Amino acid sequence: MTAQAFQAAMVRLIVEPDFRDAVRADGASALPGELTPLEASRLVAIAGDRGLDINRTLHKGFRLGKLRALLPLTCAALTTARLAREVALFWQTHPPASFSFLPEALEFCAFLEQRPLRSVYLAEVLAFERATLELERARLDESPPQSVRFRHDPVRLLGTLAAGRRPRGVRERPCLLLGSKCGDAPARWTLVDAVFR
Amino acid sequence: MQPLPKLGVGLAYQAPLAPLLEAAGHALDYVEVVPDILWTDLGRRAEPRYIDDVAGRTALEQASRGRPLVAHGIGLSIGSAGVLDLGHVEQTERWRRRLGFAWHSDHLAFHLAEHGDRLMNVGITLPLPRDRESIDLLVPRIREVRRRVPVPFLLENNVYYFDIPDCDMDEASFLNTLCRESGCGLVLDLHNVYTNARNHGFDARALLAELELQHVGEIHVAGGMELDGFYLDAHSDTVPEAVWSLLEWTLPRCPNIGGVTFELFGSWFDTVGDERVTRDLRRLRAIWTQATRRAPRARKAVAEAA
Repeated sequence: MTAQAFQAAMVRLIVEPDFRDAVRADGASALPGELTPLEASRLVAIAGDRGLDINRTLHKGFRLGKLRALLPLTCAALTTARLAREVALFWQTHPPASFSFLPEALEFCAFLEQRPLRSVYLAEVLAFERATLELERARLDESPPQSVRFRHDPVRLLGTLAAGRRPRGVRERPCLLLGSKCGDAPARWTLVDAVFR
Repeated sequence: MQPLPKLGVGLAYQAPLAPLLEAAGHALDYVEVVPDILWTDLGRRAEPRYIDDVAGRTALEQASRGRPLVAHGIGLSIGSAGVLDLGHVEQTERWRRRLGFAWHSDHLAFHLAEHGDRLMNVGITLPLPRDRESIDLLVPRIREVRRRVPVPFLLENNVYYFDIPDCDMDEASFLNTLCRESGCGLVLDLHNVYTNARNHGFDARALLAELELQHVGEIHVAGGMELDGFYLDAHSDTVPEAVWSLLEWTLPRCPNIGGVTFELFGSWFDTVGDERVTRDLRRLRAIWTQATRRAPRARKAVAEAA
């Protein structure tokens, strides 16, 4: 049991800077009580090791890389500073659970949906990428279709972000994008204009 | 260690490296794949847990062009003090049956740890204490993996950016004991040895001299980069000269070696360039050829030393 507590504390030293700082400042008294004296002394030494910071950098790079890979347009729409803030908050409240990219990206989508989004475009971009991931997640046989409601021209909006540019003044074009996916074929999206106003 | 087929020189597969595999022809004998890229793991509580990537499999099979495949996993976390993830082992076995891996391996490390009622996955390989307690944890697990996946199983010596102080054993003794008691082989990652030696200030050759090299089934070579005063096992460059030197010393002394694998992250391929990678692969081939020609003499020396 103490070996489990030891490993859990080692991981917390990497993913929780506040915990690391507390162990650096207060030593073994900041650690959980169920550790052996040897385990506690090892963790105190690790907390003060510069190599721990390298591990944290690698850990953050891995987590951020998943989001950038699967939610490129959402990350671009957030812009660098906002993305950094949102990701930091997400990581504080959502410990890393999986190696796989898809669960982490879906969890980040759910997190962002609960956040106040001041960007006029972000909600639409996020909904589109989430729907794309849902099509991926269901790829066992035939995925249930997805629909994403847009207020702005999705072709212009998504195309601008995909080209690495910030969207500005995208014209209004209320429409639906309907997505479906069959087997391993790429997702197929159909634009349906003016179905709601 | 169960005997391995002598495959030769291999490349760690990444999709952006597919053109390299195509162009390499006979310069590459086998392809190593991280099997975890062939599926998405939705978590232990999900049903079904895994989504297999059929398109990814097709791409791998096209790129490998009939060469033998070996698996080098990243998801086992065999050193986690909690439980061994048998679902992951079974998934590896399912893919072994599909793709016919000649052997499979993972990392001598942990990345999963308890966090309340959940598991945290830190996404990087963390070191284990080199103690008797770790050996006692690992040996039955290795036996279980070997029982469930009936091809040779190897573990890779870990890269670590901090060390765990006050361990009972040095790294060589730990690896020797583990291989002896469990029957697993070793993926000797020479770039990890070089990285650890450089960051922690020890003699890489001295560590290798203490290793029982008959346990080595596969060798990894790679290149890295500097960050914040550390040298990283980043798989971001060609092989440093110091690692070539370690390889030239080590390879002829490994009587049971199945192959030497070059690792490069696909995202660095354009930066490093096809020409430099191809040059490294040619050099690997030359060292392999020379070492396996000299192998009978080396085998005798290792047998005498053992």
